[in-house]
Amino acid sequence: MSQAVAARPPRELVTWPAEGYTRVPLNVFTDPELYAWEQDRIFRGPAWSFLGLEVEIPEPGDYVTNQVGDTPVIVVRTPDGGINALVNRCVHKGSIICYHSKGRRDRRYNFVCPYHNWIYDFDGNLTSIAFEKGVQGKGGMPVDFEKSRHKLIRLRVETIRGLIFGTFSDEAPPLRDYLGPVMVEHIERTLYGKIRILGRYSQFMHNNWKLYVENSRDNYHPSLLHAFFTTFKLNRLSAEGGTRQDDRNWHHITFTKRYTDQGDAAYDSGTIRAMKEELGLKDPSLIDQWIEYPDNITNSIESIFPGFVLHQILNSLGTRQVITRGVEKCELVWTLLGFEEDTEEQTLIRVKHGNLVGPAGLVSMEDGEIGNFVQQGIRGDLDDSAILEMGGRGDGSMTTRATETSVRGFWKVYRELMDV
Amino acid sequence: MSRPGQPPVRGRMEGEDAAHEAIARLMMEYVHAIDNDEIERWPQFFTDPCLYRIVSRRDYEEGRPIGVWYCDSRGMLEDRVSSLREVNVYEPHVYRHVIGPTEILARKDGLWHAQTSYMLARIMHDGDTQLFSTGRYIDAIALDGSSARLKSRIVVTDSWRYDMLIVIPI
Repeated sequence: MSQAVAARPPRELVTWPAEGYTRVPLNVFTDPELYAWEQDRIFRGPAWSFLGLEVEIPEPGDYVTNQVGDTPVIVVRTPDGGINALVNRCVHKGSIICYHSKGRRDRRYNFVCPYHNWIYDFDGNLTSIAFEKGVQGKGGMPVDFEKSRHKLIRLRVETIRGLIFGTFSDEAPPLRDYLGPVMVEHIERTLYGKIRILGRYSQFMHNNWKLYVENSRDNYHPSLLHAFFTTFKLNRLSAEGGTRQDDRNWHHITFTKRYTDQGDAAYDSGTIRAMKEELGLKDPSLIDQWIEYPDNITNSIESIFPGFVLHQILNSLGTRQVITRGVEKCELVWTLLGFEEDTEEQTLIRVKHGNLVGPAGLVSMEDGEIGNFVQQGIRGDLDDSAILEMGGRGDGSMTTRATETSVRGFWKVYRELMDV
Repeated sequence: MSRPGQPPVRGRMEGEDAAHEAIARLMMEYVHAIDNDEIERWPQFFTDPCLYRIVSRRDYEEGRPIGVWYCDSRGMLEDRVSSLREVNVYEPHVYRHVIGPTEILARKDGLWHAQTSYMLARIMHDGDTQLFSTGRYIDAIALDGSSARLKSRIVVTDSWRYDMLIVIPI
């Protein structure tokens, strides 16, 4: 139940600079021993991870498979309508038990390991072992083998607005307390309807998972790196917006509102690449939108520690889940959402705004590669550090997006959990 | 020459040979325009309005409407081209498509319906070459005399995982 079996203690692996969380030692993105500790202390530590959507498993016996960090899990709807999450690893030899991305086990509510047919109920109890009594009186398990002492590891599960979260830890506070009222309110505001899945794909990234999580909390970069939005004055830092965090700095929201852009000399000087005013859209219907929320927020990125994002980009709604794939790789699973209540016209707008997000997203495709740029850049200088001083040296909410406060918040929590 | 129990190979439809020839030329020119970095030509292979989607096989089979790419006018195709030329940030790379023979499926409402397999390698500026995507084109083709244009092209990618980004059309 640990990955960091042979790893040295984290403090021997990382020397954090005296400046604290305004610096990030670059070897945190390359060290395999630290990666093993992250699996134990973050993904299997006192954090809640996204496991899927309730709408994916509507009926008893419906299951999906997923990962929490590196650990494979099964998420299943129980006969009484609850949701259980179990580690997808047979206690016998360690084989995964469910090898489909989704399925239904409603004839017998159980899971059968394909290797030697060890059988588990939905609570993870080992209920049956093939040839337990042997064959024709020969072989079989020892008479004193107690099946009840071997069960699948079970996660705590809670849901909010159709999102399923799980944690391995007894110390993690209840989900709503973990998220805090600011994050809860924003999730409930964003997912106001009956969820419908409109699409799902994965974006494979050649960078450490934390570089993507940093990116999702970095509200300083979008208007600079993602020139598409800036070109159409959709997301300039001078538009009204800000950064909100929970009280403990674990999570983050960056948002902008429409119709409040006052312009700004730093952009209008024409020296920033993003300003290509001559580039007009031939078919502006691409960004036709409806104001979906009474708060007039048109773009928001809500990043929940450690690796979950809920986005609203105009009328594109979606979840993103970070899956670790080794020290220098990770995967981002995007699920695009709408609501059963949407009109056909609204669905078409969500479909068109699908062009803005994901690996081919006119606005976001650069995020698939920027982490790779960093990963390439740091290779020769792992004793150096990154600098995080935009917006000062503190953490907490700010009424501007010209800040890295939420990235500092991430590293604050990271250091606490990792003890570095 | 069909054996018992097997459906016979469909006979030729009227006008199919001429259509096949025009469609084969469209398929060839389409991939060569992209692979030879003449992407400005790419929107011209479509009618206006049109439909161009890239969607994973899984989402396509489940009937989900959102893939990674959706354009429903030639203007939107042209906007994609301007964006990749002038706005988006990415490491320089080129594609090499290999396409299989086109199977004509039906003629309906004045359009030819066809499917064509493709394999696509992506070559990065540092020389790294990888198999980037495999899948099929599901097309509805409008024929005007001997010239063919795509009324609709759905690129169904066999995988639902995309490496880094897709900025150049498939």
